[in-house]
Amino acid sequence: MAEEKDTPMEIKQQIAENQQIIDRLNRELARKNNEVRIIQQISSEITSTLDLDRILETILSAMDRILGFQHAMILLKDQSADKLKVAAGRGYDHTTIGAEVAFGHGVVGVVAERKKMMRIGNIGVSVRYLMAVRANLQEAGQPDLSDTAKLPSLPNVQSQLAMPLLVKDRLIGVLVVESPKPNAFDELDEVLLTIVANQAATAIDNARMSQMVEQLSRLKRFFSPQLAELILVGGTEDPLKTHRREVTVVFLDLRGFTMFAEQVEPEEVMGVLRDYHAEMGRLILEHEGTLERFTGDGMMIFFNDPVPVPNPAERALRMALAMRERVQELSKKWRKRGYDLALGIGIAQGYATIGAIGFEGRWDYGAIGTVTNLAARLCGEAKGEQILVSLRVAGEVEDLIETEEVGPLTLKGFHKPVPAFSVLRLKSNA
Amino acid sequence: MGTLPDEIKPAMQGVLPAHLVTCALDGTPNATVVSQVYYVDPDHVALSYQFFSKTIKNIRENPRALASVLNPETFESWDLEIEYDHSETSGPVFDTMDMQIEAIASMTGMKGIFKLRAADIYRVISATKNVGERIPLSEIGRESGTS
Repeated sequence: MAEEKDTPMEIKQQIAENQQIIDRLNRELARKNNEVRIIQQISSEITSTLDLDRILETILSAMDRILGFQHAMILLKDQSADKLKVAAGRGYDHTTIGAEVAFGHGVVGVVAERKKMMRIGNIGVSVRYLMAVRANLQEAGQPDLSDTAKLPSLPNVQSQLAMPLLVKDRLIGVLVVESPKPNAFDELDEVLLTIVANQAATAIDNARMSQMVEQLSRLKRFFSPQLAELILVGGTEDPLKTHRREVTVVFLDLRGFTMFAEQVEPEEVMGVLRDYHAEMGRLILEHEGTLERFTGDGMMIFFNDPVPVPNPAERALRMALAMRERVQELSKKWRKRGYDLALGIGIAQGYATIGAIGFEGRWDYGAIGTVTNLAARLCGEAKGEQILVSLRVAGEVEDLIETEEVGPLTLKGFHKPVPAFSVLRLKSNA
Repeated sequence: MGTLPDEIKPAMQGVLPAHLVTCALDGTPNATVVSQVYYVDPDHVALSYQFFSKTIKNIRENPRALASVLNPETFESWDLEIEYDHSETSGPVFDTMDMQIEAIASMTGMKGIFKLRAADIYRVISATKNVGERIPLSEIGRESGTS
């Protein structure tokens, strides 16, 4: 350069360029100086709470206020499946909360799958280019093209910078900033967002853990510990919210219990109940039933909720048969003491409204519907050692059992006589 | 101090396509459009190898090439003399390019079809900003005003 003689035009150009470089360096320096402040500020804001929504809101608002990222989303990994859900967003006209992104799909999905950050500044042109390739392939009869999926993002997005939220290599979610401008993010943005992402991951994870512990202790008041954990791990919708589902309902109680309770000392009654509850409880767990409640000698159990199970009717029936057998053994012991007790069971299947029923301080998990009433009435009609099932249940398990029609029965709460079947035994091949 | 200055980076994000000129062994030139010349480090760039093409054929027998990239903000153009060095099918450079291609491919329903075979790494011999070749915008305005 020294050998060439600069013309004034080139010198002017050089000066302008130098000024541009100086401006850029100044901007970068200002942002660099900001880094320490940013780390301190965001860190103290998000680690001071365990409220997940507040943490997400704080991260997004800090990124907007302090870092100038106007369009940002936080997506959290689903507990059980390889997908993400938008948990919070800022700078969007339409609400994207709850929108899902499958692993491997789009910038965010690929970042989640590879657990590596991605910065891209040419989304629009790349997509247009590949759509043209796609059209050519389609014309050439390429068979393996899949549908183009709609992803939650700005409609005219050009740039994205997406960071995996990791805690010890475990993916919590993805933090993404977007812009409708091409090349909107540079290496410095990568550095800043990495810092935010690291802190966000830890804060979100802590909040989620504490949320889970809280939820687990709440669920344990309603369900067995195993079931409570299953509900949490399975990522099932909160079962305590009122919902409607088809369930198989089993009612049981002991014939002769009222008379027995009148005749013997309460301690004796409690002893019999303890044995009976322990044995029935074990069989309920074994068959993955949900104990809705017990009242003295009566119990209500249902299947297919809160955790859906295959063949709920068959499970209910096999449990009922096992219970009948077990109580027969118990009653041999009871008879020796002079107590004449036998088990009656009613089973029905249908839709019920299920959820937490009660009031603050005393909640129960309950099912309400004709199906529970029918199971209770069938139980009421059953003689000692008899299992009565509704037409629906008999149809579901007809390959498994031999039955005998006992109906139609006139039952309280049902204006027409109801067909009913008594379960004799399992078929030899079942 | 490397060959590529920082200010070239915006021209290497694939916002505007680049031109690539290669030459067969017998001297036949070939010019093509590539969607992105990737910045690797101050002395290296990468090109994606997705389909076998005349460019790939030429490069494998005659490694010298010329890439022309455009800064989408200033429309300044740069000419890069480059020389094919080696291909990578793993590692950070490959991963970065592969992730971007997979992200866009999945958005257009072509996951697994449109994918990166290799990242071809080129050594940069020279980088020249084309100064003074463009007509300044101010002059265009003046000309249209006088006509």
